[in-house]
Amino acid sequence: MSVTHASSSTTGGTTFSPPSGGLRVRLRRLRWSRYGLVAIVAAYLTWSLVPVLTAFLFSFNSGYSRSIWQGFSLRWWTGPASVFTDPTYYDAIRHSFLLAVLAVLITVPLGVSLSIFLSRWRGVTSKPAAFLSTVPLVVPELVLALAMFFLVTRLLHFVPLGTTAQVAGQVTFILPLVIVITRGRLASIPIGFEEAAMDLGASPMHAFRLALIPLLQPAIVASAIVAFAVSIDDFVITQYMSSTAATQSVPMLIYTATRGTATPSLNAMATVMAVTTVVVTGLGYILYRFVARSEQIPTIAREEVPAVPVLGEGAA
Amino acid sequence: MPGGHIELKDLCKKFGDVVAINHIDLSIAPGEFFSLLGPSGCGKTTTLRLIAGFEDATSGQILLDGVDLAHTHPHKRPVNTVFQAYMIFPHLNVYENVAFGLRRQHVSRSDIRHRVGDALELVQLQQLAHRKPSQLSGGQQQRVALARALILHPAVLLLDEPLGALDAKLRRQLQVELKALQQRVGITFVYVTHDQEEALTMSDRIAVMSHGIVEQVGTPREVYDEPTTEFVADFLGISNMISADAQPDGSGGCRLQVGEFTLMAKVGATNSRGTVKCVVRPERVKLEPYDSSGGNRVPGIVEHLVYLGSATRVVVHLATGQTLQSLIQSDGVHLPYEQGTAVQVYLPPDAVRVLRPVGQAVAAAGSGANDEPEAGEPSEVRAASGQAIEGSMQ
Repeated sequence: MSVTHASSSTTGGTTFSPPSGGLRVRLRRLRWSRYGLVAIVAAYLTWSLVPVLTAFLFSFNSGYSRSIWQGFSLRWWTGPASVFTDPTYYDAIRHSFLLAVLAVLITVPLGVSLSIFLSRWRGVTSKPAAFLSTVPLVVPELVLALAMFFLVTRLLHFVPLGTTAQVAGQVTFILPLVIVITRGRLASIPIGFEEAAMDLGASPMHAFRLALIPLLQPAIVASAIVAFAVSIDDFVITQYMSSTAATQSVPMLIYTATRGTATPSLNAMATVMAVTTVVVTGLGYILYRFVARSEQIPTIAREEVPAVPVLGEGAA
Repeated sequence: MPGGHIELKDLCKKFGDVVAINHIDLSIAPGEFFSLLGPSGCGKTTTLRLIAGFEDATSGQILLDGVDLAHTHPHKRPVNTVFQAYMIFPHLNVYENVAFGLRRQHVSRSDIRHRVGDALELVQLQQLAHRKPSQLSGGQQQRVALARALILHPAVLLLDEPLGALDAKLRRQLQVELKALQQRVGITFVYVTHDQEEALTMSDRIAVMSHGIVEQVGTPREVYDEPTTEFVADFLGISNMISADAQPDGSGGCRLQVGEFTLMAKVGATNSRGTVKCVVRPERVKLEPYDSSGGNRVPGIVEHLVYLGSATRVVVHLATGQTLQSLIQSDGVHLPYEQGTAVQVYLPPDAVRVLRPVGQAVAAAGSGANDEPEAGEPSEVRAASGQAIEGSMQ
């Protein structure tokens, strides 16, 4: 590959050909930079995976310690006060997944509708609206959480703290992510597909459903994965919007437990969460690849026709 | 299906301050192959989109068989479109794409199968019914787009540069097929193109557009042989443009004063007076030996020759200071000209066409921009826009 690269640069000018030494130096440099890249990637993977693997490993510790290895045991997986027997643990897991599923079910349809509206609506206010919709992305989550807490406890009494408020809070800051992902895809879909559908007799609503939504599917799957992963991981808003122990999510439990007497059950729970999240996002990714492959927009459709012709351009 | 008579009445479309369509009137007969021809930005696509309903007219009317379409939504209009980039739904296969319109009309399943089969046969795609669009070539996609639109038996089919994305050879082949198809189905075709060859070979009539106005409407022969405006003469083929001082001779002709020479013109706006533009097609310019004599002859010197295969283009520098092109068909005889040969250039009176003075072409605004920018120069050869076509025009 490096050879073809080097030779292609020499074919450009027929009057000048670089000395062969230059080519050799370039090749050597390329090899070194490749080794360098491999080293950086390996270091990064080690750095990010070792803590995870350590946490995973200590869930099989036979003692109470989460830092000193005392022998292999399955007690924190199966014994009393283990992840699957202590209700505190599995309630937290259940609640985390409930919040994640609700967040996905609400943010994805809402976010997709909003982004279709924002990108296909050519009003004066469409640009400010599109900008404002992404503001929660840049506001620090703690500020958002405090504001939401104030709103829910002082003004919106019909939104009780607990699951409802937690879902509302998560939706607030996950929605912009869905909008950003979907709008990116929407920008690459020419409006001509909707026009073609309408031309063939589909009402505007049908045109969205039959021509646009199928083409948006990769973005829909991608935003569902992101929404799920972000919700599972969220601590700040979920904590502020919580009420009783029944609304404790896994991150909240981990945060509290590590300040008290944590056992390797915590590691087991974290492992359960990590594995489940990886499996779910993995399945989502497979679905995404499947959908994205069958929804390839043919190359010819990429030449977008300008909706507004420019006067005088190209005139004789 | 009879019908398909389209009338545009004083149609106007503005995008903000930009006038895309400047009060045009057109009448397109049922079953006609009608082309809108012009450079990009001339308003031809906007006109098509107005008929399809994707844009709302600023003012004026669009009548289809006498019915105003202004308040009919695109999905209710009995017209269908073949888009420039085809816009075939990538998530549906060929069959489903073609069946799309019928499904919206809730046609029965067996009828759909029957009609889709017929439509695919019409465009010779029966074998590819279950292919996805990404597995089709450009020409095949174009046929799917055509079948998808024709299956609904529209009163009018709108085509927006449907061959623009294809290579030249395929384009020629599909031009012939498209024309044959149109004659078979008998539907009015409104065809948008910037390619004059396409427009000339396929159309029953052509509207040449520029800057949002219709410069001329006529049969291909009329717009090529009898251009009425400078823009049309310049846009179609290669034209020798001559500026002259006109004086009607009272017997249907016109005396043109070009420098110290006087030419007679027998065609065009021969009743014009004052500064006019005239056009002579290169194939009508005759070269004669220097010692020949008679009217409408101007001496000149051959500047250079370009051998084109089927013809030779001779560029002659006239005694009046301007340059003319002559196109001489190859007939096996070696041309007795070379660079520097002195010749007489004969411009037959029935080949010198007087164009309507600018401003009288269309009374609308914007025509002032067409005013001669180089008034000091007596004439010039305008060849740039016609070069691409010349091989096929001869």
